[in-house]
Amino acid sequence: MAITPENLLNGPLSTQKCTLGCPILDRSLGGGVPCNSITEIVAESGSGKTQLCLQIALHFQLPVSHGGLAASSLYLHTEFPFPFRRLHQLSHSFCSLYNRLYNGVNYNPCDHLYVHSIHTADQLLDIMSKIESFLVNRNTQLPVKLIVIDSIAALFRSEFDNTPRELKRRSALFFKISGKLKALAKRFSLAVVVTNQVVDFMGPSEGINGVRVGNLGALYSSGRRVCAALGLAWANCVNSRLFLSREEEIVREDDALVDCSDGHNLCRRTTRFLHVIFAPHLPDTSCEFEITRDGVFGVERR
Amino acid sequence: MEVSRLPISASQRGKLISAGYTTLSSLSSVSSSDLARDLQISDDEALEILKVASHGSRLERMNKNSVIVNGARNAWDMLHEEELLPHITTSCADLDNILGGGIKCKEVTEIGGVPGIGKTQLGIQLAVNVQIPPDCGGLGGKAIYIDTEGSFMVERVVQIAGACVEDMSEYNRFLQKDFQPSGIKIQPKDILEKIYYFRVCSYTEQIAVINYLEKFISEHKDVKIVIVDSVTFHFRQDFDDMALRTRLLSGMALKLMKLAKNFSLAVVLLNQVTTKYTEGSFQLSLALGDSWSHSCTNRVILYWNGDERFAYIDKSPSLRSTSAPYSVTSRGIRNCATNYKRVKLM
Repeated sequence: MAITPENLLNGPLSTQKCTLGCPILDRSLGGGVPCNSITEIVAESGSGKTQLCLQIALHFQLPVSHGGLAASSLYLHTEFPFPFRRLHQLSHSFCSLYNRLYNGVNYNPCDHLYVHSIHTADQLLDIMSKIESFLVNRNTQLPVKLIVIDSIAALFRSEFDNTPRELKRRSALFFKISGKLKALAKRFSLAVVVTNQVVDFMGPSEGINGVRVGNLGALYSSGRRVCAALGLAWANCVNSRLFLSREEEIVREDDALVDCSDGHNLCRRTTRFLHVIFAPHLPDTSCEFEITRDGVFGVERR
Repeated sequence: MEVSRLPISASQRGKLISAGYTTLSSLSSVSSSDLARDLQISDDEALEILKVASHGSRLERMNKNSVIVNGARNAWDMLHEEELLPHITTSCADLDNILGGGIKCKEVTEIGGVPGIGKTQLGIQLAVNVQIPPDCGGLGGKAIYIDTEGSFMVERVVQIAGACVEDMSEYNRFLQKDFQPSGIKIQPKDILEKIYYFRVCSYTEQIAVINYLEKFISEHKDVKIVIVDSVTFHFRQDFDDMALRTRLLSGMALKLMKLAKNFSLAVVLLNQVTTKYTEGSFQLSLALGDSWSHSCTNRVILYWNGDERFAYIDKSPSLRSTSAPYSVTSRGIRNCATNYKRVKLM
């Protein structure tokens, strides 16, 4: 076997990336979702992780000239039900936004999104070899360049006991899954996006539970201190980690911007932030974003 | 080797020399009966002398090949040699300080820390810094980067290399004042070209690459650093046979240590952090277990202290266990901003 080093100058001087569909979000991610690596999105439920994943999957279809990779995506979902209605809505907005590209052609973005449900961690491991042959055979109209796992946490949170032996088995499984995903990412130069849940932070901030991972000293969402699920072992398995936080503030009616809900002259306004927790290629940045009917978009801070 | 140094009796030695057998090679082709006749001794005695002589010449051959048997180096020489050993700067003066000048050649240094603390950043920085030419105080060597995790981002290397090139031309300007920097200016592209990048996707691949390194480096003698980012990743995947894992790891560590010594290059192994259950509570420690912790000459642990990143010398035969802050900037690893100001004021 001849082992030769890769010549770094042969490839592009920047990792291939795919747009998220918003220049502000792209900017804070250094151009978009990188290929050849695993990007994790950590957030509590209702923070927009699934929406962001769907949006990314749609934008991978864009031609390279528009920041996409002209590729289809594989969407493995572990949380039920799969948000078909929202996908439909987003793909509709996607089509009308890029109507010049798809004008006149009978193009349905959903045709390039392969959805598969996963119920257990072992099932995920089993399906890896099938994914590999799926990628090798290239039966798809557009090559697959994105694998989404939404969410990785759901597979692990119920199945394992909290004993040292089970935890060891669990982290071995993490590394195995991650190793397989990274090997696929490398071989087919595709991007992997996984979502992860948060758990409430318990106990004293010093000691093992309070181990700081990444740029933020502590993660806060909805006023609670949280940390990413699946612990330190899983944190070693991803290349980049993003955190979506949200805070609800009560504002007076006249300041109200969104989400007018009750009639007591008080309004709730949700502010959302995307933080880079760690990434080999990104500085410590964060950016405000909002979720609208048409998708997830960054907000320029005044 | 002279016959006079053979461990035989003085009378035998005298007989040998007076009969004209002065060197070991002169004894190599003579038969025991001829020798017995020449020396007027018994056949058994002659056979005994030949045995000792052939053992002596075997020892001599080994001496030529290996340094271990040749125990004639004293500690003073070794100290002197160690002082002359080049260091690879980390680009953070505080970190260089506690490391005794930087990452040492001929040694294996392990660097560990939590995700996001800057292990990969430090790895990339060292792969760039090893190339600083001698007239800027560097080694002018090349780097081997073994990536097991896929966190090596070319754009980040370009960024760090660009900053390094800028710093070098600044240094040149500082030294030579108005003179133009001599020679052709280094481009970030040249730096990229001198990093041999291996991406490995399994532990078998990792071992294969490390076994292959000896051949590769003997063909590329200017390699001065080998970085493995990280040694850990593939060894945490479902190893049922922990004894096998320990054997593989220690074999790998031995190979790397040999490379470091033989080619006088630095080996930097990045490691992850895990929780370890000891005495009823969970503690943070570097991964791969206790036997692995003996495999490296130096051990540096990176950790958060408040909002600052710190490095701590956990194990070293020659350095004090101290810690120093560092920061990860867009230009690479640098001194902490607060410290930097203080130094500047002085």
